[in-house]
Amino acid sequence: MIRTALRYHFPDDLDEATALLHTHEERAAVLGGGTMLVPSLTRGDRDLDHVIDLRRLGLGGVSSTAGGVRIGASASYAQLLAAPPFTGATRLLQLAAEGITGGPQIRCQGTICGSAAYANPSSDVPAVLVALEAVIHLRGPENSRTVPAEAFFLDAFTVDVRRGELLTGVTVPTRSARVGYYKLKLVEGSWPIATASAVLPDAGDSLVGATVTLGAVSARPLRLDLAPLLDGHGRLPTAGDIDDWVSAQLGEPWDDELAPGDYRRMVAGVVLRRALQRAQGI
Amino acid sequence: MSETQPTAKSLGDAVPARELSMTVNGRICRVRCEDRHLLVEVLREQLRLKGTHVGCLNGDCGACTVELNGQLVKSCLVLAPAAEGAEITTLEGLALDGELDPLQMAFWDNDGFQCGFCVPGQIFAARRLLASNTDPTDVEIRAALAGNICRCTGYQTIVESVRAAAAATRDELYGAESNPPTFRAESRRGEHGQSRSPST
Repeated sequence: MIRTALRYHFPDDLDEATALLHTHEERAAVLGGGTMLVPSLTRGDRDLDHVIDLRRLGLGGVSSTAGGVRIGASASYAQLLAAPPFTGATRLLQLAAEGITGGPQIRCQGTICGSAAYANPSSDVPAVLVALEAVIHLRGPENSRTVPAEAFFLDAFTVDVRRGELLTGVTVPTRSARVGYYKLKLVEGSWPIATASAVLPDAGDSLVGATVTLGAVSARPLRLDLAPLLDGHGRLPTAGDIDDWVSAQLGEPWDDELAPGDYRRMVAGVVLRRALQRAQGI
Repeated sequence: MSETQPTAKSLGDAVPARELSMTVNGRICRVRCEDRHLLVEVLREQLRLKGTHVGCLNGDCGACTVELNGQLVKSCLVLAPAAEGAEITTLEGLALDGELDPLQMAFWDNDGFQCGFCVPGQIFAARRLLASNTDPTDVEIRAALAGNICRCTGYQTIVESVRAAAAATRDELYGAESNPPTFRAESRRGEHGQSRSPST
């Protein structure tokens, strides 16, 4: 059981929610799907006095418009998968959601925005949002603001959320592209060791303009423009050259109980190439 | 709370608590719970529904799986107060009349149960799969069951059980003649002399 005398709040408007967060600051946390927060309280890893549940704030739902896909803070992976198939680059969201670790239960409970706010390097969502140039919507006690995903993820488990702010949703712009997602994990129930989100020009053999965003291999998602690798026709070099180049981009790789940094450096290029192949339909 | 359980340390003895109302297996239930209680704790300790198991308390094993407002959830990841007003089905709710439902029967007939600890997650995940796909491949079955850990490692017979339940569902929906018999239940039941209403 949870050993702290937790107080559960379920505000029904954002002003109340942000006021609670602002007042209780480090003694409070936002409860979305609960898949990370609740077990951390059970284990005693986190010692809080207040949890603020989003469920009455009307932040659920996934909506798709001509401009993009809007995902509410309470929207689960299952809701994302139940939406009509996305097209273009946004299809990457559903490709990644299909493989979320934990089976249908976690896909029903876990939320895209919760994963973004948690910012565990060894997870799927942060790198996918960076790959798609998503925009994070935040609401504080006094105002709202938006932050590009690239700037939102500051470090491992650290995001650009200020005192009293909560994440209300993300918007993923629609654009025409071929996408491929590949993730390496060593057992079914494990978190990913490396992920790659490939976003390619819509047609043709040339990869000019292609990007691959690597996740789980560094503290923050690493978005790579493949331009330095391409020849004059927009084609890639050999697999070995790709792997060496990717390894050189990594800086200090992420190191945790799943895999040491050196391992991640070795596999990053392979994972990137497999995501590219999937995007190309190879 | 018993004397052996840990006491609150952050707010002294002032442990926030509330009345909780929810519909469990079709019955309206009202209990008093502390804000920090998990849904699995309320189901087991207050409502005495022991079919929902406590495994890892970390969202990994699936032994605490229930259906909450139509969604499959691991009840160790749900704070009890968040279930206010919810409609919940536990494993007990699948056999309210004392008869096993076809999926449970398929598990019984195909040795899908060993120690039985992981059963809630396996059964609920299989139900969800069969609700939308009555002819799943083994790959699809394994993917659907991926959120559950069987420490007996009895996965093969669990997959066989789901496969058999799928065949039985197709028989029921489309008639046995249009569907080659792949359900091994009858012969296995005969071998072991098991009845349709197991007492365990």
